[in-house]
Amino acid sequence: MKIKFKVLATAIALCASTSAIAAEPIKIGVSGPFTGGSSPMGVSMRDGVKLAADEINKKGGILGRQIQLIERDDQADNSRGIQVTQELIDKEHVIATLGYINTGVSLASQRFYQEARIPVLNNVATGSLVTKQFLPPQHTDNYVFRTSANDTIQSAMIVREAIDTRKFTKVAILADSTNYGQLGREDLEKALAAKNVKPVAVEKFNIKDVDMTAQLLKAKEAGAQAILTYAIGPELAQIANGMEKLGWKVPMIGSWTLSMGNFIDNAGANGEGARMPQTFIQEPNTPKRKAFIAAYQKAYNPANGRIPSPVSAAQGYDSTYILAAAIKQAGSTDGVKIREALENLNEKVDGVITVYDHPYTHDDHEAITINMPVMGEVKGGHVVYAYDEDKNKGAVLREKAKAPAKK
Amino acid sequence: MEIFTQLLVSGIALGMIYAVIAFGYQLTFATSRTLNFGQGEALMLGALVGLTLVGYMNYWLMIPVVMIFGAMQGVVVERVGVRPALKTKSEFGWIMTTISLAIIFKNVAENVWGRDDLKFPSPLSASPLKFLGVNVLPMEIVVVVGAIAMMLAVEIFNRKSIYGKAVVATSNDRDAAGLMGINTSMVITFSYALSSMTAAFAGVLIAPLTLTGATMGVVLGLKAFAVAIIGGLNSGMGVIVGGMILGVAETTTGYYLSTGYKDVPGLVLLLLVLAVKPAGLFGKTVIKKV
Repeated sequence: MKIKFKVLATAIALCASTSAIAAEPIKIGVSGPFTGGSSPMGVSMRDGVKLAADEINKKGGILGRQIQLIERDDQADNSRGIQVTQELIDKEHVIATLGYINTGVSLASQRFYQEARIPVLNNVATGSLVTKQFLPPQHTDNYVFRTSANDTIQSAMIVREAIDTRKFTKVAILADSTNYGQLGREDLEKALAAKNVKPVAVEKFNIKDVDMTAQLLKAKEAGAQAILTYAIGPELAQIANGMEKLGWKVPMIGSWTLSMGNFIDNAGANGEGARMPQTFIQEPNTPKRKAFIAAYQKAYNPANGRIPSPVSAAQGYDSTYILAAAIKQAGSTDGVKIREALENLNEKVDGVITVYDHPYTHDDHEAITINMPVMGEVKGGHVVYAYDEDKNKGAVLREKAKAPAKK
Repeated sequence: MEIFTQLLVSGIALGMIYAVIAFGYQLTFATSRTLNFGQGEALMLGALVGLTLVGYMNYWLMIPVVMIFGAMQGVVVERVGVRPALKTKSEFGWIMTTISLAIIFKNVAENVWGRDDLKFPSPLSASPLKFLGVNVLPMEIVVVVGAIAMMLAVEIFNRKSIYGKAVVATSNDRDAAGLMGINTSMVITFSYALSSMTAAFAGVLIAPLTLTGATMGVVLGLKAFAVAIIGGLNSGMGVIVGGMILGVAETTTGYYLSTGYKDVPGLVLLLLVLAVKPAGLFGKTVIKKV
């Protein structure tokens, strides 16, 4: 009787699994902080990914199968990120993952994808090291890809803006004590050293610090003409508010996080004029961008029509299409084949940020090069183009520089 | 010199925030020898409830409402978490119960108000006042004055009113007070209400300076605990001085040493105090007779 039951159960299970294969969805992981100080980036990224996945599903999916997103909140916490990663790989059996907002989480977690040979597309994390953890000769293949502007690019742009364009000679660096802040600070110092500039002050603060007086006074006393930042929204707002309190106002130029909604809202008038590199400005200057912004506003109805983090949303959206194109080309959901397809993507992917023509090669896993981002500026509670020249040429797509980046 | 004064002023404003939370630890410790480890969360709830109310009413009118809310929250903590532990004479039960209540409050707040940091509209001008070359925000003055006024009010209440005398009697000797006909468990409930009320009050005072969110109380509650230990768990003067010491230590170390080490001197001081004078700088050493 017992045996009979087992046979029956197996038979039913077999039937169920064979019938499911035909329409079984393709599972794609989405990992990011959907709560906490980093959440504007995480939520916007997730929503961008969802928009793209919905569009693809409506057109029949990939390989005749629907995309199923498995969203997990990593809370910007390194150990939580590892848990989520293991869950996505071992329990949910995702075929690829989009995400990682926080450089620290990315660095701590993505080795599991590398070991499992499942591609992971970092669509927001910017730490220079993110795509360089698994390089040859130790690793023959690298499963980590990126669709955001890395910190080497961003720090170079920040320094170019401060030193070359605005002719500041004395700058101070304020960075938070996370992996993101401290790796970014190193990149900034390197970029400054390349111009023979030494920052007059390099200060640090913790997440949740409420008083920035000491850091700002040091910068002020050192005669800083501008403050270069590497941190996230809430603490950046405390810096802007702290400057107002000290009655000392110098320009803030920093990493792209100065465009986060929680910086703009919490700093209010004090945050006006802050400048940061952006891969995407919420400006409907191409039909694709217009459609994307309208779709986002319709689906998620953000306050004042402002996407909490437009860059994250756009990069999330584009990363989904890049991955979809790779899966289509691979003709399979096998991780190795998807990686190979990503590294030699024949289809031109028409994204919000640009048209991706062969975005990756075997040795280059960065989709964004330094010619692509523009300088954004906080103005009237929105991020706009800092320079009219960029704005007027906004509709001209900036494509990836074809000469491989120097190695 | 100007720099030093500025650091001093910012340090005192910061220290006063710590002091007023630390004061809450003292209130409950005096009557029941227990602490509410959810003091930081009481502050957070006060700030968030205040933020919701401020959409409907004037900031200054909102404060008393928030204080009533804080008092009720304190009663809940005492009834649910502390009283059962006291009844069973459990030495440490209240530690776990107050910590678990704190976590519950934080999770509830995350679900009600979300996990984002929100801006609390400042009732006063956000531009600084300048005197003697030092910049001070109007709100910082309100925090310092409000904190001291709050502590004074509680002290006067304890010394002058008949109810306050019951509180003092209970702190001196709970059993004797009970024999004298004082309802000591009522007094303990009251002290918890008072303690959470000061925390909620502190929350709405500091919210315009810090950001408001479900996690705002964690770091503040911890630092205030250090202040309570440094100053002494039974000295009102102690928390004020302790708070100022910690606040000024943070800002001056940040400036003169390194911002990476700004939390260290305060904690070193905590270790020193515990090693040299465990009752705190201003604490009275009580000999426990067994």
